[in-house]
Amino acid sequence: MKSENPLALRATPLIRGAGAFIVLAGAAFFMGDYHNDVYRKLLLWVTLALGYNFLFGVCGQVAFSHFAFYGIGAYSIVIFLFQLHLPFPLAAICGIALCIAFALAVAIPSTRLEGFYLALVTLALGQLFIVVLNEGGTVTGGTGGIANYRLPEIYGLRLRGPWYTAVIALLVVATYAVLVRLDRSWFGRACRAVRDNPEAAAAMGVDVARTKVIAFTLTSVLAGIGGMVYAFVDNTVNPPIFGIENAFLLLFMVIVGGAGRHAGAVIGAVLLFLLPFWLSPLVGHHHALVFGVLVVAAILLEPRGLIGIYDRVADRYKGSPSR
Amino acid sequence: MSALLEVRGLTKRFGGLTAVHDLDFEVREGEILGVIGPNGAGKSTTFNLIAGTYAATAGDVRFAGEPILGLAPHRIAARGVMRTFQHNRPFAGMPVIDNVLVGAHTRFGATLWSVVLGRSRAEEARRRERAAELVQFVGLGELARADVTTLSFGQGRLLEIARALAGEPRLILFDEPAAGLTAAECARLAEIIRGIAARSIAVLLIEHDMHFLLPLAHRVVVLNFGAKIADGLPAEVRTHPAVMDAYLGSHAAH
Repeated sequence: MKSENPLALRATPLIRGAGAFIVLAGAAFFMGDYHNDVYRKLLLWVTLALGYNFLFGVCGQVAFSHFAFYGIGAYSIVIFLFQLHLPFPLAAICGIALCIAFALAVAIPSTRLEGFYLALVTLALGQLFIVVLNEGGTVTGGTGGIANYRLPEIYGLRLRGPWYTAVIALLVVATYAVLVRLDRSWFGRACRAVRDNPEAAAAMGVDVARTKVIAFTLTSVLAGIGGMVYAFVDNTVNPPIFGIENAFLLLFMVIVGGAGRHAGAVIGAVLLFLLPFWLSPLVGHHHALVFGVLVVAAILLEPRGLIGIYDRVADRYKGSPSR
Repeated sequence: MSALLEVRGLTKRFGGLTAVHDLDFEVREGEILGVIGPNGAGKSTTFNLIAGTYAATAGDVRFAGEPILGLAPHRIAARGVMRTFQHNRPFAGMPVIDNVLVGAHTRFGATLWSVVLGRSRAEEARRRERAAELVQFVGLGELARADVTTLSFGQGRLLEIARALAGEPRLILFDEPAAGLTAAECARLAEIIRGIAARSIAVLLIEHDMHFLLPLAHRVVVLNFGAKIADGLPAEVRTHPAVMDAYLGSHAAH
């Protein structure tokens, strides 16, 4: 690792991040209302996939609660703002605190046991969350959810149209930056070490349980923040969106794209999000079948996902192994 | 030389079987202490007790004067006791250099918050440079960026050593490091272990192979059936009747 001039080293990621934001946000201003809506959801799926990839791909935790936390974020901001009438910053902080509390309550008991147990507990949490939403009466709005609210003015500004899409673009870029930084640090290596060989990780001084709990809480909070942003995309929150089906779709995105790789998560999310738009005219509602085939094909043919195919092609041209 | 690691009355029973019985020994600063014994002598159990993998039935283990028996493995590592595994346990999803960096885990000072804010790059670069030196030291210099799954068994063992050294230990525990290595690799390994001792890092070497251990160790402890049957300089131990008896059978001793 040769370090270049330190100024360039510091400027590069910032400039790259700003560039990505300008491109992603700028694109929204060239789209109509319908495409803005699709684009916003695409960006949210990418955000979720990035977070879930860190949990599942980097840290090796098989959890199905990601969408429940997305829902906790979405519902909590709406309930805190419009039923408890908290000011926006306080509502956001309370929503995050709620996500942290739930994440710790799930992660701390489950990490003491093996991976399968976490999958079951989070699956149960996902289902329970939907039940609570459906039975929540006036607080959650029951099966119909909560609607008829809109983003309050923040510092006298009401973001709408492509400007709100820009907020989501900022969320994607910030999530990506945070996760990449974590991944390239002692923490990311500890997560990968725990995934690859927990006993050896412990022998290297990694607190395995603590690392798992932090990774779970952190990615769950990121999902919760995504949910808060989502709450003002449709200006309605209702139970089906936060169900188990979407949690599985997220898992498929990460596997098809390439688990453990940020770029893979992005590719998987974009592909599986857009696929129904292309497939529906051809096969109607049977696109779930195509997803199934894709996932099985990915696992059998290229366990490293689409990014693995890209790596092999790139290696052939460069002739050197890349990460 | 003072004792860095003190083992007193260490005992481990698995049900009715006493794997280690009332064991006493010490590792001094900067020395290579060998623990040998035939199969089933309790070497691996002793190792796992010190490393924190097993809970002891009785006894006391002190490192630099502090009790470490009963601490979780990651806390023992954080105190400065690193280990290698007999069956290599690499982190398969990472290149060689990142495997070594995991070994330095407890030496990172940056908080998660400073990582997120991007303020930990200097430390990261410094540690990476240091890890590269260790990869070089064990002779894997050209493979620093390689995928660990492409390493041979012998190279994997060298990686185990570099990874343990990255934790800046005062004591390294080697679990049968010569097992499965070729004669040439054993010679190289012995040279590396001497190099480690020369950096004034103490070495505790659990080893089945006397021919590998005796020329290398400064002192030797011999176990049989979970108890110490002899200790002393390699030359003394080699001709000790109880040792010959344990290793070669009772006929050879008489």
